[in-house]
Amino acid sequence: MINPSAGAINIDFHVNGKSYSMQVEPFKTILEVLRDDLGLTGAKKGCDDGNCGACTVIMDGKAVKACSLLIGQARGKKITTIEGLEDENGLHPLQKAFIDRFAIQCGFCTPGMIMTAKAILDANPNATEEDIREGMHGNICRCTGYVKIVEAVEAARDQMNR
Amino acid sequence: MKFDWYYEPTSVNECVEILKEYGSEAKLLAGGTDLVVRLRSRAQKVKALVSLNAMPELSRIQKTEDGLHIGAMTKLMDITKSEMFTGSWMVVKKSAGNVSSMQVRNVATIGGNTCNASPSADTVPGMIASDAIVRIAGTEGERALPLEQFFTGPGKTALKKDEMVVGFKLPDLGPGNGAAYKKYAIRGDSDIAIVGVAARLKLSQDGIIEDARVVLGAVAPTPIRVPSAEQMLIGQVLTDELAAKAAQAASDFCTPITDARATKEYRKEMVRVWTQYVLKEAHSNAQ
Repeated sequence: MINPSAGAINIDFHVNGKSYSMQVEPFKTILEVLRDDLGLTGAKKGCDDGNCGACTVIMDGKAVKACSLLIGQARGKKITTIEGLEDENGLHPLQKAFIDRFAIQCGFCTPGMIMTAKAILDANPNATEEDIREGMHGNICRCTGYVKIVEAVEAARDQMNR
Repeated sequence: MKFDWYYEPTSVNECVEILKEYGSEAKLLAGGTDLVVRLRSRAQKVKALVSLNAMPELSRIQKTEDGLHIGAMTKLMDITKSEMFTGSWMVVKKSAGNVSSMQVRNVATIGGNTCNASPSADTVPGMIASDAIVRIAGTEGERALPLEQFFTGPGKTALKKDEMVVGFKLPDLGPGNGAAYKKYAIRGDSDIAIVGVAARLKLSQDGIIEDARVVLGAVAPTPIRVPSAEQMLIGQVLTDELAAKAAQAASDFCTPITDARATKEYRKEMVRVWTQYVLKEAHSNAQ
């Protein structure tokens, strides 16, 4: 087995296409490592207890709440954060749709919302409004009332299916 | 949240030896959706954290002659997508989908949901109604226990200090079975159940109830069967009246508490209402 550790453990994982090999204390969450050690502050620390979804990232293709995962659980995994969505062509259709549809007010829930939406659409490109609303149960927004968020996800879906 | 030692054993044998060494000062990490949150709130302190995430053999679902075997580390999302939960086993697949949100189900495991032993755990009533057996491993070997005997109090299980759950078996119950689970919560699945009811009915060709299970969650220190309700159903045909009587028995039998989500009076009343729905759904599923 990987040797028991009383101090830092070694973790190899990938974030936004880059490989990392880190010595890190095993009681840190994936969220803390992303934000504090890698400087990727897009994933937010909202409730820090697994409820609000502002920390949502995609790990091996699945949306997960980074605040509720210890860094050891990232071993060998591929993580995508909001910073990894933009490419050489510019913003991801989801990012553009959130802006164009005014689905952002304070913006705090936004990265988590977009990552969850991406995970839904990646698995189900023809997700219906019901599928989207069901999939986004784990993300809370205090500002918008969700209407524009759902509209933005549907608009991005339609754009991506063209 | 700090722990002194972090382990990632790669076999059950390694794992139980670690548990034997640390006893109650060790905690097992499955998906972590309950544990990590509790550790961080310092509600719990731990000396050794033992991750089960390097033991992929614990994540298999296998059908054998005697039933369906589910590894303890099987993720809830994988259960909700599995085609192997046929017939009345469907109740386990559906109730796994009642747990929290997509992000949590992607990480949480059936073993974790069970061993966390919340009285309101959503996967448990359907499994008890299916006569599930828990497979336990320790330094002295393996043993099996009916799931309904696994819970000893809120957050407490029958596991000894050196033991871990390795999987569950859903026995083949034969033809004519239908089961259902219904969760009642304010904000849908993302909320903890105020009341959870599962039922299984085994019907003869003539529609007579040959066997019955009525299981309640969130209304007692542990998930509970209601023997009085079950006995009054067996040998009968399900009518609205009988369902109402059985539901009243379930309501009388449970011992809910008043907490932030609901009063005990409301829970008792909801058990009475919900049990009727669930019995009818189980009956319909048995056709």
